[in-house]
Amino acid sequence: MAGAIIENMSTKKLVIVGVILLIFQVLSFLVGGLIAPSPTTAIPYTATKCVDIRKYHQKWLMPGGRNPCEKIQDFKEATERHIEANDIVFAVHIPKPDLEMSSWFQFMLFVLQFEIVFKLANQIDEAGVVTIDASLAYRDDIVSEWTPMAHSKEQRKLNCVFPANKTKKNEGLPYDCDLLPFMEVGTVAHKYYLVNIRLPVNERKKINIGIGEIKDIGLVSIHQNGGFTKVWFAMKTFLTPSILIIMIWYWRRITLMTRPPVLLEKVIFALGLSMTFINIPVEWFSIGFNWTWMLLFGDIRQGIFYSMLLSFWIIFCGEHLMDQTERNKFSVYWKQVGPIVFGSFCLFIFDMCERGVQLTNPFYSIWASDVGTELAMAFIIVAGICACLYFLFLCFMVFQVFRNISGKKSSLPAMSKARRLHYEGLIFRFKFLMLVTLACAALTVIFFIISQVSEGHWHWGGHTVQVNSAFFTGIYGMWNLYVFAIMFLYAPSHKRYGDEQSNDLLHREDIQLTTTITHVDGPTEIYRMSGKEAQE
Amino acid sequence: SNHSYFLQKICLSALLLTATSTSSPVRYLAKLSSVGSISEEETCEKLKGLIQRQVQICKRNVEVMDSVRRGAQLAIDECQYQFRNRRWNCSTLDTLPVFGKVVTQGTREAAFVYAISSAGVAFAVTRACSSGELEKCGCDRSVHGVSPEGFQWSGCSDNIAYGVAFSQTFVDVRERSKGSSSSRALMNLHNNEAGRKAILNNMRVECKCHGVSGSCEVKTCWKAMPPFRKVGNVLKEKFDGATEVEQRKIGSTKVLVPKNSQFKPHTDEDLVYLDSSPDFCEHDMKNGVLGTTGRHCNKTSKAIDGCELMCCGRGFHTEEVEVVDRCSCKFHWCCYVKCKQCRKVVEMHTCR
Repeated sequence: MAGAIIENMSTKKLVIVGVILLIFQVLSFLVGGLIAPSPTTAIPYTATKCVDIRKYHQKWLMPGGRNPCEKIQDFKEATERHIEANDIVFAVHIPKPDLEMSSWFQFMLFVLQFEIVFKLANQIDEAGVVTIDASLAYRDDIVSEWTPMAHSKEQRKLNCVFPANKTKKNEGLPYDCDLLPFMEVGTVAHKYYLVNIRLPVNERKKINIGIGEIKDIGLVSIHQNGGFTKVWFAMKTFLTPSILIIMIWYWRRITLMTRPPVLLEKVIFALGLSMTFINIPVEWFSIGFNWTWMLLFGDIRQGIFYSMLLSFWIIFCGEHLMDQTERNKFSVYWKQVGPIVFGSFCLFIFDMCERGVQLTNPFYSIWASDVGTELAMAFIIVAGICACLYFLFLCFMVFQVFRNISGKKSSLPAMSKARRLHYEGLIFRFKFLMLVTLACAALTVIFFIISQVSEGHWHWGGHTVQVNSAFFTGIYGMWNLYVFAIMFLYAPSHKRYGDEQSNDLLHREDIQLTTTITHVDGPTEIYRMSGKEAQE
Repeated sequence: SNHSYFLQKICLSALLLTATSTSSPVRYLAKLSSVGSISEEETCEKLKGLIQRQVQICKRNVEVMDSVRRGAQLAIDECQYQFRNRRWNCSTLDTLPVFGKVVTQGTREAAFVYAISSAGVAFAVTRACSSGELEKCGCDRSVHGVSPEGFQWSGCSDNIAYGVAFSQTFVDVRERSKGSSSSRALMNLHNNEAGRKAILNNMRVECKCHGVSGSCEVKTCWKAMPPFRKVGNVLKEKFDGATEVEQRKIGSTKVLVPKNSQFKPHTDEDLVYLDSSPDFCEHDMKNGVLGTTGRHCNKTSKAIDGCELMCCGRGFHTEEVEVVDRCSCKFHWCCYVKCKQCRKVVEMHTCR
């Protein structure tokens, strides 16, 4: 009869393991906080207003460099020169002069902001929709021609409010406009990019009519910092073998046993697999290859891990509670795991609709159209309901487990001393693991809130601590250590294997105990115990 | 020498540098520029009104000077907008100095002009930086070095840092070179800084969520400059609540403290002034005051734009004028307006 390592470890050893894990935990926070820069950088650009002179008919208009376009400072100048709206191209060169992009940036996304001034006679319509003719090109040295990458006509809804009274006095004050999603590219394989935006006017078709008086177009590019990418890759490269080794070790222990593995053991193994799947640093390939689907792939990997983790919690609780005739089958948990699968499926569909479509058209956004927004909201709300449902189930199960444990506790004084100590130890360790899980979840939430609220970096003495980076590496390291610890502590104990005929009092007591419920074949004592409880 | 003088010079010099506007009032300068024989550094030398140190900065940063010119224009426009209904309407004179002697004295108005000018320069340089016009502002110079490696590792600092730093070196150098001992220099430096603070303290923080499925797991924030009108509004408020100060020696350093010790001390963002302003009623060319004769006023208003106060009790003319106004217009987002002409008769009040 095999027990898990957590049951057979002395408290001293458990503390040592805990301290080692804690050291690694602190390290993973420090790596992000002290070595890595902030995870992402946003660079605001103001689009240069170029005049598209028909006679030259340039395909790509550049704001600067060797062959700059004919610029105008403001539209007053354009009016004086009888330039029409259709001749104006907003051009943005990425990055700024003297710099170049790098594949370490992993992704680029762009946000569009219109600067529209209030004019009493020329206001933004109630449903001001702007039609954007956007194109993107790249090149890898400053002399070669631009290579087109994408071109699309997109519609975006201008959500603008005027912060003051709409009176003659407040003319010239700008509207407060929402940021509009513009473009997302899943890889940064080239050095220079050029965005050309046109806002074609067609009075007959009512295109770009009633969008107010545009003064400027701002574009904000967001990309991952190269330094963060490097630290992240290094971390992944270090974590992959660690989890892989403990996973192999764990599975070897299970196959060494005479009985086939039980559900909980399989689920823990699956958890390790999904952790390894997320760990494997396939992103290294993004440095050499132009793989635009990496962003989507990363989302899918994260999704698989999260749903695995949630399923693990449910099954972990359930396997300490269920009746022996029902448990040990995955199908028993359909009610609890169902919401997880359905919820992640919804998010998957949503992600495919957004990032999946962006593989072919980087300017696409599901939020741009009304139908798309409703669809996206529907997916997210359904996923949210699933999450709530799941947590209700989980809380109820945890409650049941604790009720069973306290029921057992009341019968403890009647037991022999060795047996009582044994049970007390078991309960303590079970609760300990529950606490660790709760602590991990709480830590994730707390750090998430801190990273949302804080400015991104703290100054501490002479050092700058990057809170956001520390959050990412720390939490990522934490869940890795969590999976590591579970695989280690829940692996079948070797000692138990050889010591079956031991004269040790505790073990004899235990054998007595196990012989009373020989048909129960669970991985842990507490599991057996609660199984017995459920029988009664 | 005074501050506004050099602004005007910058405006003129910009015509030299660019000459894109066909409506340039100084045609021959535009012609000169098309010859293209003026080397850039020479242009810096020709800018009258700049002090030697500024000429040096100009030579080293020729690409920035066009934005400085734009910033100056922005400041003048905003000043005239904010003061359009007051007796002193920030009018620029054809003769130098631009704003008249009002600004050469340490008045409230001078405080505003200095603040809005340094803000205007910072604003325009930041703008130019974000549109990729300036090569030098490309990446952070203070923290990570200018190298492309710095950009690759941790990105760039905000554009505003460069704009403000440039405004500090270029605008403040006038006062610093005089030696910051004089009370006027102290006042100007304080107001210059207050102008820049009006931008810095009103930066909007904007954020974008882009985690898994667009969740806020990953959120990136950046700072966006307020519209210049907002900066103007803030400074106008500071103008209304400006503190009258005097110079005092504390220890070995000279500082400005409120004249009335009962007032709470001014902060970095407040405007300060040394001399009280004239009433701006009568035409006084010697002091650069245009007077309010001939200004339009509002008959129904009791405020400063009302005829009572605006005309300093001298009374006003009323005449009926037919104005041709644009009405039922069709607009495009840029450059195209098709209107009908509507004529209407309005009463116009003009100060005597």
